[in-house]
Amino acid sequence: MAKFVGNRSRSKEGPRHVTGRGLFTDDFQLPGMLQAMILRSPHAHAKILSVDPSEALINPNVFAVITPDDVKKLTKPFKPGRYAAGLKRPIDEYAGAVDKVRYVGEPIGAVAAKDRGTAEDALELIQVEYEPLRPNVDVHEAIKPSSAALFDELGTNLAWTGSLQYGDIDAAFKSADRVVTEKLKIHRYSSTPLEPFNVIASYDAASKRLTVWVTAQVPEVIYDGLREALDLQDVRVIIPDVGGGFGQKIHLIRKYVVLVSLLAMKTGRPVKWIEDRSEHMMAGGHACAQEVEAEAAVKNDGTVLGLKFKEYDDVGGSISTLTIHFTNKLNNLSNTYKTPAIYMEGHAVVTNKCPVIPNRGIGKPGMCFIWERMMDRVAQALNLSSIEVRRKNLIQANEMPYSTISGNIYDSGDYPGLLKTLLEKIDYDKLREEQKKAREQGKLMGIGIVIGVEPGGRNAARDMAIFPEMKEPPGSGGVNGAKIKLEKNGTLMLHLGSPNCGQAHETTTAQVAADILGSTPDRFSTSIPFDSDLSSWGVAAANSGNNFHLYDIGAIHGAATKLRDKILKLAAFNLKVEPSELTIEDSVVKVPGAAAKQITFAELGRIAYNNQHLIPDDMEAGLEATHYYTFPFAKPNIVPGADRKVRAQFTFSAGAHAAIVEVDKNTGSVHVLRYLIVGDNGTVINPDVVNGQVYGSAAHGIAVALGEGFMYSPEGQPLTITYLDYGKCSAAETPRVEAVHQPSPSPFTSLGQKAAGEGAAIPSPAAIASAVEDALQPFGVKVCELPITPEAVWRLLNHNPEKERRTF
Amino acid sequence: MKQTIGVTVNGRLYEEEVEPRILLSHFLRETIGLTGTHIGCVIGECGACSVLLDGKVVKSCLHFAVQADGREITTIEGLAKDGQLNPVQEAFVKNYAFQCGYCTPGMVMTSQALLQKNPNPSEEEIRKALAGNLCMCTGYVQIVDAVKEAAKGMKNG
Amino acid sequence: MIPGSFEYFAPRSLPDAVKFLSEHKDDVKILSGGQSLLPLMKMRLSKPAYIVDIGRIPGLDTITQDGNNLIVGALVTHERIEYSDLLKARCPLLPQTATTIADVQVRNRGTFGGSVAHADPAGDWPAAVIALDAEIKVFGPSGERWVKCDDFFLGLLMSVLEPDEIVTAIKVPITGSDKTSYQKAAPRSSGFAVTGVAVRLAIDAAGTCSRAAIGITGVADKAYRPERTEQILAGKKLDGNLIEQAAMESTRNVEVIEDINGSSEYRAHLTHVYVARAIEEALSR
Repeated sequence: MAKFVGNRSRSKEGPRHVTGRGLFTDDFQLPGMLQAMILRSPHAHAKILSVDPSEALINPNVFAVITPDDVKKLTKPFKPGRYAAGLKRPIDEYAGAVDKVRYVGEPIGAVAAKDRGTAEDALELIQVEYEPLRPNVDVHEAIKPSSAALFDELGTNLAWTGSLQYGDIDAAFKSADRVVTEKLKIHRYSSTPLEPFNVIASYDAASKRLTVWVTAQVPEVIYDGLREALDLQDVRVIIPDVGGGFGQKIHLIRKYVVLVSLLAMKTGRPVKWIEDRSEHMMAGGHACAQEVEAEAAVKNDGTVLGLKFKEYDDVGGSISTLTIHFTNKLNNLSNTYKTPAIYMEGHAVVTNKCPVIPNRGIGKPGMCFIWERMMDRVAQALNLSSIEVRRKNLIQANEMPYSTISGNIYDSGDYPGLLKTLLEKIDYDKLREEQKKAREQGKLMGIGIVIGVEPGGRNAARDMAIFPEMKEPPGSGGVNGAKIKLEKNGTLMLHLGSPNCGQAHETTTAQVAADILGSTPDRFSTSIPFDSDLSSWGVAAANSGNNFHLYDIGAIHGAATKLRDKILKLAAFNLKVEPSELTIEDSVVKVPGAAAKQITFAELGRIAYNNQHLIPDDMEAGLEATHYYTFPFAKPNIVPGADRKVRAQFTFSAGAHAAIVEVDKNTGSVHVLRYLIVGDNGTVINPDVVNGQVYGSAAHGIAVALGEGFMYSPEGQPLTITYLDYGKCSAAETPRVEAVHQPSPSPFTSLGQKAAGEGAAIPSPAAIASAVEDALQPFGVKVCELPITPEAVWRLLNHNPEKERRTF
Repeated sequence: MKQTIGVTVNGRLYEEEVEPRILLSHFLRETIGLTGTHIGCVIGECGACSVLLDGKVVKSCLHFAVQADGREITTIEGLAKDGQLNPVQEAFVKNYAFQCGYCTPGMVMTSQALLQKNPNPSEEEIRKALAGNLCMCTGYVQIVDAVKEAAKGMKNG
Repeated sequence: MIPGSFEYFAPRSLPDAVKFLSEHKDDVKILSGGQSLLPLMKMRLSKPAYIVDIGRIPGLDTITQDGNNLIVGALVTHERIEYSDLLKARCPLLPQTATTIADVQVRNRGTFGGSVAHADPAGDWPAAVIALDAEIKVFGPSGERWVKCDDFFLGLLMSVLEPDEIVTAIKVPITGSDKTSYQKAAPRSSGFAVTGVAVRLAIDAAGTCSRAAIGITGVADKAYRPERTEQILAGKKLDGNLIEQAAMESTRNVEVIEDINGSSEYRAHLTHVYVARAIEEALSR
């Protein structure tokens, strides 16, 4: 009987955060620690001719400078990795730029000094000579043969092309009554975590042991990256409280960990590097700008027979995350629909802008944007309601578990049910009446209704589907562990397998374990920070990919179940009963109805660690359990075969979103009147936590749609290096998102739980676009491009496109 | 040239020698070791570094330590007494008005300052008062709810 | 993040401050609230070798009435203006403008004088100052003088101030029955104006607008007075058509800027909309 799972439970992380006792990387000080600054390129595209640190090194408080020559001599490049497996020739990517710089802000070296001010002063004294090259900022210009190639090894900026087809797409288009087409654009943006990159590196030369404290989401990237680049065997990765991740702190951060580690090795001192906001905005990583041409083959009754799309991805100045926004579309390729044929084609173009990273949802917001804009377009073309068109194509609840054409298996979900509840909650028909009245008064009110699936739990072999040349899986499925220890005093200590960036891992795992062990969450503590030496971690150890709900909850569930067995066995031995006669209540093991027959956790602890004669001979002493979890329903299609079908992810949450907006005719500003989500996250372990994820991810998607984003000049200079210029929203600009839960528990996970982290970030840009287009319907304009800024709306209203592209 | 300054922080006088260019935020974090005040930006636009200066909420990163000579500062560490959370802190914990916790100290200080000035703010007033405190995680809903609850709690003493 | 090194001087009198400024004319900045200066220094866009902190000079932080005028000391913070009962009663345009500046933290530290002296082309105060025909008191090596607001702002972050001169006060009129308003378009509540319009309308007993004074910020390389707009409104009864006609002239002969928040075409249009809105809001008060 679940006492804690599903109910409100006091936050374990809260008390330290509200008293300023969170332990973030910058809060650590080590004796003799130096402060670092990164030397960065001021050019978007240039050859590095020379780097002279001599003037900077005159000051004795400047301890070391790392130059491109050092990086080349002292480190090995990172291997291309699973996102660049399809490169015609593997391209070396060092931690810092060695011959060429390819984006403003690209790191080319580093300096370590006694204090931060001295390091910043020293940076200005390092003389660097560049030979500027022509920058590429526009995807279509960049792929012209006349453009300057970013990578000479490739000879072209079209770094990768690939396609996948599922079902008979030709037949679908041949038998269509109509083909509906549209061109869509999404811009560069990111979740810009409030804490930028932070690294502390400390090297013990005699033992050849490197320890790093780092703001990272995926320990494996750091661990493998350091071992690869620095040829080290003994690497310890410690991840303290992280001030937001959102996918920013996965890939690019490994470059900085290597550079800072080099400084630590060179100086023999611990070195700390704290990134500035402006650095992060220009070089921390962006979500990819995508240009898509989509076509839907439809029947007159609204059935979608097939979807084709071709996308150009602006991936910036690195090849390491080349295909990430394309390949992740496999996760929600079908969205919530049973369309039997899909063709996807990707073109990854390198440009002289910040490299792209897997920001919240990666590729999936784009995929959902394609689907949901096309559904509206189909409705318009066929003169049907956009609700009806969606209903016509939704996978039904009684078809679950549902195998999609690309190999995903949707575990559970009632998409028509979510839509129905959504329309009831917003009183849809009444809203349309209100809209009619508003239009008569010249007011522009709009309603956008969209639905999106939210995949969860990563499969490490997924990318093989787009790379037929990949013979060996880089990993497959997922593996992550956890340990629970009943301490001598009867309290419980959790050792989790993943770091966290604020998703209440400590609170939710305590609830899960408390239910299984018959204890209460207040008796649990979690060992923090994440420490690769101590943690039972595997490839799924990641605060990303919507992994926690599956792998970490699964691991804790498994460990708690094992520990419960041990507790019962030891208790039974001491109470002289059978384990099956026992229950656990409030950390006391007892025979129901027999007051004398009970033993507390504390008593059991004292026995397990101290009293050999009270431990059965066939039982191991101590009371702890470790469990490594793999998803038991990962097959079939865990590794794609010749048909390229693959379980891109393993569990499938979903949400139906309603955006109600009003557009100011004179200024083009969009005001969100109401935003409601009816969501299915499976069994909700902690409602406050899940609500928080829904509110936060929705707020970001709404802000992305309405204007936040990165911009570049035609010379490749980043124009948005402050939050203000980038357009980040405060509470004053953010609408109050409402969330209603209508879960369909997963039949495959430990407790029926599904993901919630990426959540509402996936459908929300489409919801806003749909609502604004609906508001502008009297003007007959289409909304196909993000962001929907006031000026963009004003131009649509006045049929006044910009004469020329000013920024990118 | 370094200067000696005397700054009272959370009721305690600190006398330290500082370079003029040291920011108050770094003084708090590094010179006197109170790391609860966080730094999230450069030009003072995110509010993570918010503290009370002579009772008014300010951004400690837009202030040199030398300017604080003779002044009184309250940081996040100065709110709870002996581990007992004050009404704003308690409301934040209860309402899950945080996720990663990085903006939280600044958010709590600004909320504290708001309620000291305006004990019964409307939702609109709360949102405007928090306009200088950015959060990337929460979408602000639970933060606003926490401030409302704290207001009720403070009213009831 | 960390500014370049500098020598710091916190004088206790205006003559001491000016003396220090004169000695280091070529490489010195005045520190008032610091809300505009520190961002520039932290980005290392400004690297003065000397800083004069005028925050400890007594007598610069009062708000007093002087006949038909109000004298606001340069060190008065935006927050004090926002909550001043005297100003709410006698010159409400000032508190109304103050409440739109940045956020509460910046308003608690930023000063009226510092802001005006900084001459940010998108700052809010310059628009209000122009609409109020304010005069700015300047203290320097040759003593004290008053500068009319129309002469004060020269261009992007440029005013008539010499490096060794300090703004000590701003004189604004008691606006009495005049209708005033400040309306600002900013993508973010704490952001700079994409366009900001301050108006002051003198409406006589017959309902005619005897004079319109307007200040516009965020649109050009400095805040400016749209003279043509003022002329169209002067001496007329203000109806919707006239207001719109006048508003459309508000960017005439102005080089409207273009930046990431808008093209010049859009910005000019937005300004026309906001001039009309500011006039209408003022009339509704």
